[in-house]
Amino acid sequence: MKNRLPQLRDKHGWSQGDLAERLEVSRQTVNAIETGKYDPSLPLAFRIAKLFRLSIETIFEPGKD
Amino acid sequence: MTRLTMRQYRYQLFAWMAVYVALMLLEWPQVRHVESLPLKVVLALLPVLPMIAVLWLIARRVMSSDELEQRLYLLALSVATGILCALSLIGGFLAASHVIELGGDVLIWVFPLLSLCYGASHRWVSRRYGYSSCE
Repeated sequence: MKNRLPQLRDKHGWSQGDLAERLEVSRQTVNAIETGKYDPSLPLAFRIAKLFRLSIETIFEPGKD
Repeated sequence: MTRLTMRQYRYQLFAWMAVYVALMLLEWPQVRHVESLPLKVVLALLPVLPMIAVLWLIARRVMSSDELEQRLYLLALSVATGILCALSLIGGFLAASHVIELGGDVLIWVFPLLSLCYGASHRWVSRRYGYSSCE
C-alpha cells in the first residue's frame, strides 16, 4: 500500500518522532508505515486521517497486489 | 498502560536478572543441605520469584506497545515456540527410547532457551519491517 505520510508530515514540519508521539505509536512504526513495510490497522489509519483532517483514501492508496 | 521505554525495560530486566543470579549463586547451593522439607521447598522455589517479575515486566512491555510491535512480539514468540517444541519433541523421543538420559532438571532450561530463541527470532522478524530491536 502506498501512502502520502512523508509529504504530509513534512508539510506540518513534523519529524517521525513527532508524528509517532501524536499517534501514540513508536517512531519505528511510523517509519515502517512510511516505507510501505507495514500497513496500519483500520483504527490506526483512521487516527492518521483524523490527525491530518483528510480521508483515509486521500492518504493511502492500494498497491498493485 | 504507561509505555515502557527500552531503557526502562532493560534497566528493570537487568535488576531482576541480577537478583536471580545472586539467588542462584548464594541461596540455591544450600537447598541440598537443608533437612526441613518446607524450608527446602521455599529455598528451591525462591529463584522463581525474580523470574515471575521478569515475566510481568515482559507482559507490561507487550501490553503497552503499539500494533506493529505487538505483531513482532507475536511472530517472534511463534517462531521461538516452534523451535522449542521441536527441540522438546526431539529430546523427549530420544530420552523415551533411552538413547540419551534426561533428568527433571532439564526443565530449568526451558525458559532460558525460549528467551534465547525469542531474542534471535525477534531480531530476524524485526528486520523484515526495517525495525531495530535496540531502539
